[in-house]
Amino acid sequence: MADSVLVIGGGIAGIQAALNLADKGIHTYIVEKLPTIGGHMALLDKTFPTNDCSICILAPKLAECSNHDLIDILAYSEVLSVEGKEGAFKVKIKRKARYIDEEKCTGCEDCARSCPIKVSNEYNLGLNMRKAIYIPFPQSVPRIATIDASVCMHFTKGKCGVCKIKCGAGAVDYDQEDEIVELEVGSIIAASGFEVFDPKEMTEYGYGVYKDVVTSMEFERILCASGPTAGRITRPSDGKTPDRIVFVQCVGSRDPKHGRPYCSSVCCMHATKEAMLVREHDEHVETCILYTDLRAAGKGFFEYAERGKKDYGIKYIRAKPGRIVRDESSGELEVWYEDTATLKVSRMKAGMVVLATALVPSRSTAKLAETLGVELDEYGFFRSPDPLLRPVDTTRPGVFATGYCESPKDIPESVAQAGAAALRASRVVAGVTA
Amino acid sequence: MKSEIESLLKETRAFMCLDCGKCTGACPLARQGGTYSPRMHIARMVYGYGSEVFADMDMWSCLTCGLCETNCPSNVKYTDFMSKVRVFSAGERRGGFCAHAGITHTLARMMANDGENQSRLGWVNDELKTAESGDVLYFVGCLPYFDNIFDYIKIEGTGIAKNSVELLNKLGVTPVVMKNEVCCGHDLLWSGDRDNFQKLVKKNVEAIAKTGARTIVTSCAECLRTLKVDYPQFAKFNFEVKHISEFVAEKLDGSSMKMSQFDGSITYQDPCRLGRHLKVYEPPREVLKKIPGVKLVEMRSNKDNSICCGTTHFLNCDRVSEGIRKERFSEALDTGAKTLVTACPKCQIHLKCSQSNRMQDEGVESLHITDFATMVNKHLVRN
Repeated sequence: MADSVLVIGGGIAGIQAALNLADKGIHTYIVEKLPTIGGHMALLDKTFPTNDCSICILAPKLAECSNHDLIDILAYSEVLSVEGKEGAFKVKIKRKARYIDEEKCTGCEDCARSCPIKVSNEYNLGLNMRKAIYIPFPQSVPRIATIDASVCMHFTKGKCGVCKIKCGAGAVDYDQEDEIVELEVGSIIAASGFEVFDPKEMTEYGYGVYKDVVTSMEFERILCASGPTAGRITRPSDGKTPDRIVFVQCVGSRDPKHGRPYCSSVCCMHATKEAMLVREHDEHVETCILYTDLRAAGKGFFEYAERGKKDYGIKYIRAKPGRIVRDESSGELEVWYEDTATLKVSRMKAGMVVLATALVPSRSTAKLAETLGVELDEYGFFRSPDPLLRPVDTTRPGVFATGYCESPKDIPESVAQAGAAALRASRVVAGVTA
Repeated sequence: MKSEIESLLKETRAFMCLDCGKCTGACPLARQGGTYSPRMHIARMVYGYGSEVFADMDMWSCLTCGLCETNCPSNVKYTDFMSKVRVFSAGERRGGFCAHAGITHTLARMMANDGENQSRLGWVNDELKTAESGDVLYFVGCLPYFDNIFDYIKIEGTGIAKNSVELLNKLGVTPVVMKNEVCCGHDLLWSGDRDNFQKLVKKNVEAIAKTGARTIVTSCAECLRTLKVDYPQFAKFNFEVKHISEFVAEKLDGSSMKMSQFDGSITYQDPCRLGRHLKVYEPPREVLKKIPGVKLVEMRSNKDNSICCGTTHFLNCDRVSEGIRKERFSEALDTGAKTLVTACPKCQIHLKCSQSNRMQDEGVESLHITDFATMVNKHLVRN
């Protein structure tokens, strides 16, 4: 009987599950495919319904994982195969080469400052640039640089080498190779999270055509002090502060046409929060939320939306726009919608439009499910054999799922569910079955 | 009646409506002001106020352009809904106001009921190669009638038919043209007259079967949709139906045929039937781009977001229709193109009719509106 647990995914759900297990005295591995753990929560500016700084809540947890004697973080790694059964899984993991000696790197970023290559920064959703050698964000855990070999000149053209010269610790190692690690674990928790649906295919909204139509995750980065605009609300096309920002809800979710009839569950609150933050940053910017049904069902959520109306002056209109076009002469967007309460069809001018895009299981989830040998439901979330009484179980004994990859949910629910998954996994490790 | 409405709601997925209003926010009619709301039609029907919908004169203004349907997250089939609701409404002796003194609908009904004998093929001159039987049939549609009715707005009319046949000839095809062809019935079908529509279907299907044709080519997007989508629901119909743009695109793909020079930019109007109804967006564009020197510039609303020419089935053409055309023309002028190509004679009729209207912006009158077949035939060099 192996007495460790493997957590796949280093977002808030995975981190919380690992901390719960480790605090119970169970050794836990966190495998994360990106160079740092933190997941989407690390990209959020604030969290609802308290408007707390997201990274301020998350960073201590990241540090705790990093410092915990019973947690090993395998970042920049992928699960290759899983064999065995409940209580005794053999897992093969590929640790991708960072081309950096993890022991030597001090995280000073001298390398990144001197790197000549700039590429689109995925941590700011492509809104600005990062270097080919980089640390994703200031609170990254582990705080180790990574070379993106697909763009680094040393790898693509065989020249450069500036980072190696600049690194005082001598940590750059261009000859490093991927490493295969084999682990024995008693139980596995999948926490592979979500990604944002790309609304380009919904051409009526002009995303990808008009720069000032952004997704809510992109807008979160625009709001964030560590984001591409350092928290100033400016629109991507010309850097001006918009007079009005219109939030469009249910973009690609509650949408059988695009294969997602489900509600993404966080967007009503997410939009309310972003609209509040806009007003806090600049009270001259009007905010308007065009919603289908205001689903503020969590604890304190409805009151939160009411606060948005009363204290922040957010305008809520029950509508879904059918057409967004740009007036080329003024640079303003025109949002056409029917107010379903007054039956009036209107055109609203907007400096920016924020699309609350559907959240979908992350792209790697399907492959992960195959590797784990478990079933997904029709929308790509992990399937439980008994959604009522064993919601975190998967179709394979000893393998559990938690967080958004199980079903749409917000941070508090992910944290609560991570506790449930940790408990279920701990029972397996302790030899308790069924 | 109750069960008929129930099955209508199920067939068209009206029950799945989220009441989000995205349809109305996109609707070109609704955006012109007034009270038109696809969402409210669905809602009233679902909540049991069907009689209100049947009596709503606005309903006859619907362009059935399908923009609401393309937008609908719940896949509610509004065009289908409208087509069926109009059958109920027409059964209660209601109808829309047919423009041009109702002549287009009257002619269709005459053809359905053995009216005057037609002399359909007067436009076929000695230079055109046609046949009475063969593999490929060119379905002419109402072009010969349009020549007479719309002479005063200088539409291309049978010019489109001539160009289509010549184009097919250049591609090595001698198409069948039928002297006993009748109207495809599009306008009657969409205005709720199923009886006469079915008579037309029967006549055409019998006539086509006698020619031995397997492939039917149309230059009219409405004929295309009617033959391809609606005919199989009313008759045994196993012919392949193609728009001339699809047919030409296939033939030219990999061919060594040459096109003559055209200097300037053109823009393309997606007919609703060809575009949103049948999702044919690329073939006409591909062919037009093959003409050397052509710069194809898209209007702000194009492909699945394209705006309709403003009137369908000649019903309820009014200032709202003119408003839609004003919007469309302003988008066309914004492209800077001097030529607007469309792939449906009806688009051409409605747009040309509106060109001389005084409410249109300056510059609209000089926009050259032409058909896809005319444009391509003019530039395709005979081998």
